[in-house]
Amino acid sequence: MKNRRWILSVVYMVLGIALFATAFFELLDSFWSGMGTALFVIGLLRLLQAIRYHSNAQYREDTDTAIGDERNKFLSMKAWSWAGYLFVMIAAVATIVFKLLDMESEMFLASGAVCLVIILYWVSYLIVRKKY
Amino acid sequence: MNNRIEEIRKEKSIRQEELAKALGVSRQTISSLETGRYNPSIQLAHKIARYFGLSIEDVFLFEE
Repeated sequence: MKNRRWILSVVYMVLGIALFATAFFELLDSFWSGMGTALFVIGLLRLLQAIRYHSNAQYREDTDTAIGDERNKFLSMKAWSWAGYLFVMIAAVATIVFKLLDMESEMFLASGAVCLVIILYWVSYLIVRKKY
Repeated sequence: MNNRIEEIRKEKSIRQEELAKALGVSRQTISSLETGRYNPSIQLAHKIARYFGLSIEDVFLFEE
């Protein structure tokens, strides 16, 4: 963890406050105040984590080990792979269900999601194939 | 791929935590390696073998 984490935390918090304030003064709708609150909380949590990282040697060591641990990286890749595969399967089933229920716009949304993920997979595959 | 990590570690009276710390990995990784649920990268296999003062073939048992 470097200074970037501190800066990013502060940016999140400032952005969160700004979004909340604009929604509070009714310049934007309540969606943005919700997003502002979420950003502020994320920024605050990241900041507290960064403070703990700098002040607690044991926590720093544990965090660095967890970040560098090759099994953790493998598990993360595996989990993303499963999540992507499951998403495509669920969206494909949803496409059929929406079609049967005559819900056209939802059906197009679900089938579009399937196509998008498959296109992203192939683009990623072509890039990764060149890299490794 | 089988390995002798647990056997060698116990022979040398090393705790999982100590081995994990020396290799820069988590204790759970050592546990997964010992039970054979996770196969290490060639770099980690090399580090483990070097830590025990053995060759990779002495620690890891490759099967056809």
